[in-house]
Amino acid sequence: MAENPDYRLRVEGVSKSFGPVVAVRGVSFAVRAGAVHALVGENGAGKSTLVKMITGMLRPDEGAILLDGGECRFGTTIDARRRGITAVYQDPKLFPHLDVAENIFMGFQPRGASGLINERRMYAEARRILDELGVDVDPRSLLARRSVAEIQFVEIARAMIADMRLLILDEPTASLTPAEAGRLFEVVGSLKRRGVSILFISHRLEEVRRIADDVTVMRDGEHVITAPASSFSEESMVHYMVGRELKSFFVRQEPPPKGAVVLEIAGLSLPGVFKDVSFSVRAGEIVGLAGLVGAGRTEIAEAIFGIRPPSAGTVAIDGAKTRPASPGQMLRKGVAYIPENRDENGLVVELGISSNICLSVLDRIGKAGLIRRSTESGFARPFSEDFEIKAPSLHSAVASLSGGNRQKVVLAKWLATKPKVLILDEPTHGIDVGTKAQVHKRISELAAGGFPVLMISSDLPEVLAMCDRILVVASGSIVAEFSREEATQEKIMTAASRVSKAGARAGEAGDGR
Amino acid sequence: MGDKGGATLARRFSNAVSRNTLRLRVFSVLFSLVALTIVFALTTPNFLNFQNLKVIAFNSALLTIVACAEALVVITRNLDVSVGSIIGLAGFVAAKFAAANPGSGALIVIVAVSIGLLLGLVNGLAVAYGKVPSIVATLGTLAIFRGVTYIVGSGIEVPSGNLPRWMIHGADATLLGMPLVVLLAVAVALILAFLGRGLPILRRVYAVGSNPGAAVFYGLRANRVVLFAFASCGALVGLAAFLYISRVGTITVNLGRDWEMTALAAVVLGGVSTTGGSGSFIGVLFGALILSTIDNGLVLARAPEFWRMFIQGVAIVGAIALDSGIERRIQAIFKHGKG
Repeated sequence: MAENPDYRLRVEGVSKSFGPVVAVRGVSFAVRAGAVHALVGENGAGKSTLVKMITGMLRPDEGAILLDGGECRFGTTIDARRRGITAVYQDPKLFPHLDVAENIFMGFQPRGASGLINERRMYAEARRILDELGVDVDPRSLLARRSVAEIQFVEIARAMIADMRLLILDEPTASLTPAEAGRLFEVVGSLKRRGVSILFISHRLEEVRRIADDVTVMRDGEHVITAPASSFSEESMVHYMVGRELKSFFVRQEPPPKGAVVLEIAGLSLPGVFKDVSFSVRAGEIVGLAGLVGAGRTEIAEAIFGIRPPSAGTVAIDGAKTRPASPGQMLRKGVAYIPENRDENGLVVELGISSNICLSVLDRIGKAGLIRRSTESGFARPFSEDFEIKAPSLHSAVASLSGGNRQKVVLAKWLATKPKVLILDEPTHGIDVGTKAQVHKRISELAAGGFPVLMISSDLPEVLAMCDRILVVASGSIVAEFSREEATQEKIMTAASRVSKAGARAGEAGDGR
Repeated sequence: MGDKGGATLARRFSNAVSRNTLRLRVFSVLFSLVALTIVFALTTPNFLNFQNLKVIAFNSALLTIVACAEALVVITRNLDVSVGSIIGLAGFVAAKFAAANPGSGALIVIVAVSIGLLLGLVNGLAVAYGKVPSIVATLGTLAIFRGVTYIVGSGIEVPSGNLPRWMIHGADATLLGMPLVVLLAVAVALILAFLGRGLPILRRVYAVGSNPGAAVFYGLRANRVVLFAFASCGALVGLAAFLYISRVGTITVNLGRDWEMTALAAVVLGGVSTTGGSGSFIGVLFGALILSTIDNGLVLARAPEFWRMFIQGVAIVGAIALDSGIERRIQAIFKHGKG
């Protein structure tokens, strides 16, 4: 791209907070006209929030967004679209029951003189745009029948019916095969030649190196650097992305445990989701599953717990092998899984603390099928004290507690079932620093007491501080393993962003049409 | 992958099924209607003759209109269980008006349709803007509208003798041997089917039901679309109420009771997905025909009345179970992108 003095998009000092959490803080950068501009950063770096502000889904608290020099104050995504800004998201935002052409034109259908939709023109136009994109998709076929790649091209086709000036691609290749991604890049190239600017968000750094003209790195909601892509190596990009400091007072000190293997996963697979996952967790060991959002970590945990029964492989607990089929079965085997969204999946927020803690052990503490309130509190008290749950009383409704204290209740509830293995999904996501340290301390104590813990976390400093071993998951496979000594944020991030050619998409091979 | 031949064959079959699920759905409606007709034709002597088929068509005409109205709402992923009470209030007020103003002509139709429209708007506002789940909102208005009908009626009935002559005659009128009301019902279904392809707002009805979350990204203003669906449902039901009062002997405050159930049965039998986004009005027409065929067949076979309710219930649950199976498949393909 020749030097082009005018900027298509300028983001100037933009900030956005959600309550006390600052998602984006004073970010400024500019996208050149007709350039591919990559936006990279770790999970939670604020990329999505920034995109939502550019497309009008969110309004910035501070700062301005300028398109071709004019300030944008979008009320809705439609306003943004009218100005030529469209976004293609990783998860399809389309209508599965309608056909391809209708999805492209919904809301903007060509009308005839009668005010009715001119179907012939609509299908012809759709055909033309799809041809132009070089995609062989029948405009009359049902969207639900199309593949993820085709659906993404439909979204791009949709963007093309408007006068497009800026196209935002939010992790477009996350669910594409290498060949499909190649097609997408060709399309990006031809759009670029037409003068469309592309803001490209990706975790795959070699892709960024391949197609981006400029790169902006974000970290912790802040702008780190914007520079021509050619001035970066993959290593230097990772270097700018990581380097967050551990905002917790707790660092685990225990030496690596030498206990017996309690949890052993062998060859766990689920076509299209994850493939051939094998690892083990020893008594007293904390094993971390690191990786990018969408890499398949939660899915693997859910498979181990039986929510998402795997199609192959086994889970052994204390040497007893099984194929997980249901959560009930795995609970009986001694697996406790604490999901990320604790309110939705783990708590009855209207009930009190003690009732929640006792919920999963009712049949054990009840007498003749009845439970006394005092029995409940008696049972719950030691847990509550162990976890230092801060509440007026044991009967206080969980709804009245802070996020951190709720998390403690969830942990207590699961520990009450006397599990053999504990799986934690983002255990400190969205809780304040002080409580975070308490939760870390408690998890660490549990491990010290001989508990095997499997912990999913996108918070790299947390992973480094807590885990004895770190497994990196990318595209549904474990791509790297580090001991606590060898692990660094750079190493983990590099492994997570690398897409091995072989395992580009788990289950790609076994999943025929 | 293990047992190759068997697995491949099974996968091919399941792929073929999932590819054609939507199409299969519409055909299965027609197929059931044909199958039903054959069964009754073989088992019930007086079933298969022109006179009786005309009776079936006549009986299904009103149901077709009400079910098409209900389908509009169901396609947006909502339910309207108040249609029976809309028939009651719109019909009763229109009848009272007609009896009091004998020379008012077409104004009676306007009264019925406007009241239906108004009640539909009430439902739509509660659901789209009040954010009350549609089943709860319309369960409430089911009682409210009926209650208002009782208040308006204050214990009186309107005998059909008090209605203008032309209404009574119109109910029995035929054109080319077909009852007028049947032709009207078919016209309603055909027009809706046609506009359902071509009218932008009706495409939005489908889009909102297919993926309410995506509708936001398209700036479709789902609220308005849902309000539109409920309002037009009300207006169509008002039209059906007018047709209904022209043909019953005495118009009581209980007019249209339990119709919501029958209408919903016709809608789901007709292949409209209760999870929104898909359904054809021609399918609904067939759904109404199926119910009326069952009714008729059972009467001819001298089966006790309660069988009707029983079969209607089974048909609803069966159709919805079948449907949710199909919907799961669609969502599964959509999520994993495997065509």
